[in-house]
Amino acid sequence: MASDGVATAGRILLEAAGRGQRALAEHEAKQVLAGYGFPVTRGILVASREEAARAAAEIGYPVVLKASSPDIPHKTEQGLVRLDLRDEAAALEAYDGISAALTGHPGAVLVQEMVAGRRELAMGMVRDPDFGPCVMFGLGGILTEILGDVAFRRAPLEPQDARDMMEEIRGRRILEAVRGMPAADRGLLAEMLVGLGRIGLDHEAMQEIDLNPVILAGARPVVADALIVLR
Amino acid sequence: MGPPGTDFERIFHPRRLAIIGVSPEGGYGFGNGMLLACRAMGFTGDILPVNPKGGSFAGLPIYRSVEAIPGDIDFAIVAVPAPAVPEALEACRRKGAAGAEVITAGFGELGTPEGRALEQQIREIAAGGIRVVGPNCFGIYCPASGLTLLPGADLSRESGPVAFLSQSGGMSIDLAHLGKWMGLRFAKVVSFGNGADLREAELLRYLTDDPETGVIAMYVEGVADGAAFFAAIRDAARRKPVVVHKGGLSEAGGRAVVGHTASMGGSRAIWSGVLRQVNAVQVHDLEELAQACLAFSLLPPRTFRGISCIGGGGALGAAAGDAAEAYGIAVPAFPDDLRRRIEALLPRPGSSAVNPIDVANPFVPPAVLGPVLRLAATDDRVELQVLISLLYHYKSQARAMGVPVAGITPFAELAETVAGVTADTGKPVVLVLPDLKRGSDDRDVSGMMAEAREAFVAQGIPVFGEIGNALRSVGHVNAYYGRRDGF
Repeated sequence: MASDGVATAGRILLEAAGRGQRALAEHEAKQVLAGYGFPVTRGILVASREEAARAAAEIGYPVVLKASSPDIPHKTEQGLVRLDLRDEAAALEAYDGISAALTGHPGAVLVQEMVAGRRELAMGMVRDPDFGPCVMFGLGGILTEILGDVAFRRAPLEPQDARDMMEEIRGRRILEAVRGMPAADRGLLAEMLVGLGRIGLDHEAMQEIDLNPVILAGARPVVADALIVLR
Repeated sequence: MGPPGTDFERIFHPRRLAIIGVSPEGGYGFGNGMLLACRAMGFTGDILPVNPKGGSFAGLPIYRSVEAIPGDIDFAIVAVPAPAVPEALEACRRKGAAGAEVITAGFGELGTPEGRALEQQIREIAAGGIRVVGPNCFGIYCPASGLTLLPGADLSRESGPVAFLSQSGGMSIDLAHLGKWMGLRFAKVVSFGNGADLREAELLRYLTDDPETGVIAMYVEGVADGAAFFAAIRDAARRKPVVVHKGGLSEAGGRAVVGHTASMGGSRAIWSGVLRQVNAVQVHDLEELAQACLAFSLLPPRTFRGISCIGGGGALGAAAGDAAEAYGIAVPAFPDDLRRRIEALLPRPGSSAVNPIDVANPFVPPAVLGPVLRLAATDDRVELQVLISLLYHYKSQARAMGVPVAGITPFAELAETVAGVTADTGKPVVLVLPDLKRGSDDRDVSGMMAEAREAFVAQGIPVFGEIGNALRSVGHVNAYYGRRDGF
């Protein structure tokens, strides 16, 4: 996985810190991840209804509209993630609602591709007081909190550590070929887990990275939502 | 080994031992207690008590100061009040002691500025050239030299492969006593308390290279340097089994939690992940730790994927099957010809030899169990055998015959038989000895069970009280060697 993202990430973190942000906006977080070669959803920041309509058409329906603001780490809980918008009318209605809620906060509306996939994973990095950056892997979406089915390893991770994490969770069969869905690309998942450890080691300024959900689009994992918390 | 200059040989096997804080009036102070305990243990070197008042205790002259001791000292036990500890340690350092253990409490653990300042003084003196165990600890137990823990006048003098590092003094003395009757034999036990100087990472490195240590166990609550600990335990576990009980795993409060990763990553999940990453064996209480150490110290260093299980009563067999499955161990059904040959040896009706083997009643004599075990071992899929022996039932026979239970229970013969089977077949036999009659009207049974255990332990046979504990321990052995050696 590419590591030429160090400089990009450093710049984004520095700018965010300069603005007094405690977290990166989703769009910023995805730029950091893309710099490290993570598969992320395609997204365009928009500042008007016209831009929203144009972006949605360019990405192709169905789309997702979200608030991308460092002030709002938990967008779903506040109704600021609108999934599966199938036409311009739906996109514009969502745009109006989200931009109204953003009034008074930094950030913008993010128009994003809707990833088709029924399997959701979670992965992340947290800076532990004893062990420094530690990487998490587990079931994603609401199951993360309900089941707590996750595994951790301390960074830096060897590829074998990443493979062990995938074997360690109780829900490991989600990665196999099930119900007509192909087996997950474990090689790419392992690269992402190793990469999360490297990002944590590269950037002292990060306290936490939260990729949830990482959706399996067929075999391929795609980061659908990302949160990066600063120290 | 530790940094250059640390002479662990003089620390664990001192020939001249100063005990600072021995009262000439006697009493139950720590200094007097340690002196009597070391003597009771038959400590092999010279014991040199120190107290400014002078006088004598237990027939030994008390020196008025460390300086006043003629000749050198190797190690010191410091049991003076906390404010006097730095001066005593400094005197030991000047006298050329390699190390000292500070039993006294009242340092950093108080959380007061005074306590922290005193502990900092200890650290500074240590940096000047003496290694310190403690403060706020129970010290070192080393069966080879007779050095013993605080309330440890009657620990075993038999050495063995188990080393134990503990932040908790109580845990160290508990394991030393528990291990004595369970059959654990120790190389060294170190209760390091606050760990002002010597602590987990450096002691792990020492034990990794220590030829007397075959299994390292540890009780840890927190680490001083996570990176150093990680590197030390990873290197240790590549060489020998490391069994870890992490205490204080309730989720740490007060840390910033914004996203899911941090909320999932309390100390419990992170410690479990880290311990798996380095292939250390995580246990969840002292008994599990002791049982795992017993299995590691008495079983050969390999995995055991299939077992036979021999016992009385169908439910025991079912319990064995369930427990085995939980740890990924197979209980393969025997082929018909082998089953028939085993059944021909067993009392009929009521027995069955499919595997698990139900021997039908608890009074099947060792002369029959031996051949049954030997036949079961002929199945290539069987790599280890579990024998469940309900010796307590002999109480009913003893009562009927009007004789003492210890007199008619054939544990000595069974121990000989089992040891012979293990030696001849190369497949270890693990004994499960349920101890279910423990009331005050069954003290004769308790006594017999203790003797029986000793007989098995003397033959190097691992004994567990329950089938689940036995298989969990074998499961730990499998997990460790399976990952280390890659199968």
